[in-house]
Parts: sequence; structure tokens; C-alpha cells
Amino acid sequence: MISLNYRDSRPIYEQIKDGLRKLIVTGAIGTDEKLPSVRSLATQLSINPNTIQRAYNELEGEGYIYSVPGKGSFAAGEADAGMSRRKELWEKVRELLAELRYLGVRQEELMVLLQEEPSGGTPAGKGKEEMP
Amino acid sequence: MIQVTNAVKRFDGFAALDGATLSVPAGSVYGLVGPNGAGKSTLIRCLTGIYRQDEGELTVDGQGVWENEALKCRIAAIADDWYYFPQASVRDMCRFLRGFYPTFSLERYEKLKEVFQIDERRPLRRLSKGMQKQAAFWLTLSAMPDYLVLDEPVDGLDPVMRRQVWSLVLGDVSQRGTTVLVSSHNLRELEDVCDHVGILDHGKVLLERSLAQLQDNMVKLQVVFKDGGGVPEDLEVLHASHVGRIHTLIMRMGAAEATNRLAVYEPMLVDAVPLTLEEIFIYELGGADYAVKDIVL
Repeated sequence: MISLNYRDSRPIYEQIKDGLRKLIVTGAIGTDEKLPSVRSLATQLSINPNTIQRAYNELEGEGYIYSVPGKGSFAAGEADAGMSRRKELWEKVRELLAELRYLGVRQEELMVLLQEEPSGGTPAGKGKEEMP
Repeated sequence: MIQVTNAVKRFDGFAALDGATLSVPAGSVYGLVGPNGAGKSTLIRCLTGIYRQDEGELTVDGQGVWENEALKCRIAAIADDWYYFPQASVRDMCRFLRGFYPTFSLERYEKLKEVFQIDERRPLRRLSKGMQKQAAFWLTLSAMPDYLVLDEPVDGLDPVMRRQVWSLVLGDVSQRGTTVLVSSHNLRELEDVCDHVGILDHGKVLLERSLAQLQDNMVKLQVVFKDGGGVPEDLEVLHASHVGRIHTLIMRMGAAEATNRLAVYEPMLVDAVPLTLEEIFIYELGGADYAVKDIVL
């Protein structure tokens, strides 16, 4: 369910982190559903268990998962994900917008895109302020 | 826990180990890397009680290894040239090793038979190099050691078998807390399986870190400076090169810190990329006068 790309410049733990996060965000792993254990992922992916533990710890720090001692890790429901991740994504959007503008995409087209996004209420509002 | 303190081993006056110091925490997978002739195999032979060090101390769980039978029962090794008796088959070697390892599990041996699918009655000398290596893993994993010492372990194994073998070893690490010391030149692979890395050069340990520390403390940056300027002189960089206006800098600090440091110069573009173990290896040894030389023949 997680695939590692050995040509990727991201370290392995980040790839695992991003992979799990994607599964949680898309709902492939539902709220309060148990994540695979560190041990099973280690043998399945042939990756050091400590590397996987690190990915789990950081996801927990970001609020995507919570762990129950002796039981394992579970997906947290509402994304009370940290501000750091929000900032990170914000930067990414900005980069994408810069490139789109460079390619000659007009302001109005971008606005249409923002509005058609179903859950984009707040970001769209913010976007308006940000854009010149 | 494996502790090596100032180990020296000389052969005819040549010091293959020259004051090497390293420690392998219990339950970790420690990758030993270094250029050819750095002393990796010598260190491994000292740790498995084949060589006796001339100076310094090598201890496993606080006890010296040399001639320590009770301790050696808990250490299993796969050497580069794994030894078997000339006429022996896997089953013969199994019988032989059972006498040495009280923890040897026949139940495991039977289970692993399905994984490796080697005819246990065929003489080992008639197996290919890769299959002999598989047999070595089969027997060594059946011995259920607390310490596993591997010298170039997956050399000669096919890609599927590599994954299989690592999966078995790492299963043992997470389940039984086996401590693994592995020497290899395949840094790409070590990056996946190790949590600690030691770089050995000229018989000394150049650097020893956990992989997380190593990755967080070195960063590669791609920078375009304002007005096409060069790298500021007061910036501490480990390595700098440039293609056109794009400068590639290697800095010994975290990505966030490095970006902050550069922000002072108001660059047009800063992109931080984490380093691979291979790059770290090359840059660390580059500081020790070991680098790929530009020689045209």
C-alpha cells in the first residue's frame, strides 16, 4: 500500500510519512482505523523498523495519527494537523501559482479553479487576499 | 551492544586497524562503510574472534570476544568467503552448526526451507555462488543469534532474494531485538536497512552517527544569487560547485537553518535537497583526500 521510490530524493522516512498521510487524507485509512504495525511494515518493505518508527512519531506530532500503548497506531479523525503542514502546503501552492502564471494562465481562470474546489472555502478566501 | 575501543591490528607492520573506535547500540542495524582496504573485514574478523587485536579492546555485551566460547555462541557471522566442509551439504552444515549454537532452531530451519528452496542434500560446492550465500543465510538465521555480523552479505544474491533476506533479518531485528553489524558498498541498500552508520578509512572511524542525524545535519542547496553573484566568502560550505548561475552548495547543517543563513543574501532561488548516503559518503571522504579524480586516459 506504500511504495518506495528509490530514485526519489526524499529520505525513506519522509516517503513513508507522505505515503501514510496520503492514505489518511484520502480516506483509504478511515478514522480510528488501525495502521499497519511497525514490525509488519518493516518486513514488508524491508526497511529498518526505526525508520518506520520515526515516520510514525512525526505523523503523530503533526496530528494525523495517535497511538495507544500496546495496541498500535490509529488514524486521527479531524485533521487537527499542525500549522507547519499548512504552511508547507501553502508554499507549494504559491510555487504552482507562480509557474502557472509564467505559463500565461490568466487570473480569472485561476479564480474559476479555486471556486470549483468543493472544500476550498477558506483557502479561496485567503487566496483572494494574497493574489495581487 | 558492541563496543570497539582503539583497536589496532597489524599485519607485517601494516596497521589494517589503526585505533578504530565505534559502538553499535543493542537492537540497531549498523552499517559499516568505507573505501576498499579501509579495514572493514579486518574489524569484522576481530569481532567474530578470528583475529586477535594487537591493541585496544573489543567487547560484546561488556565481554571480550577472543576465545570466549559462551559469547561466541550468541554471535553468528556470514563472512565474504563463507566456509563449509568440502563435501558438506546444507543438512550436514546444519548438523555441524547445531553443535555450536544452543539456540539453533530446527523449526526455523524447516520453515526457511520453503523460502530458499535449495536441495538440502546437494553438496554445497556444487551450488552457485548466490545459492551458497542463500544457504549461509538459511543456516545463520536458523541459529537465532543475538548478534549478526554480515560482511558484504547480499553480494551475488538476485534482487528478489535480497529483499527476502533483508525482510527476514529486519523481522528478527524488530521481533527479537537482534543487533546487526553489516559492511557493504551498496549504500543505496544500506540507507533502507540501517539506522546507524560508521565510515571507516585507513583503519580509523572517520564518522559515526545515526542515519537520522546524518541526514538532518547535511544538506544540499541549489541557489541562484542576486545579480548572478558568486558564493559569499563568509558562508561556511563543505563543497561548492556551479553550473551557469546555479550554485550547488553542501552545508553541514539542517535544511531550515541553511535556508535561514542564505536568506541574508536575498537569493533569487533556494532549493534544499536532502543528501543520499552515497553523497554523504563521497563528501565526507572528499574531506579526507579521497575523491573521484578527473583522469582522462
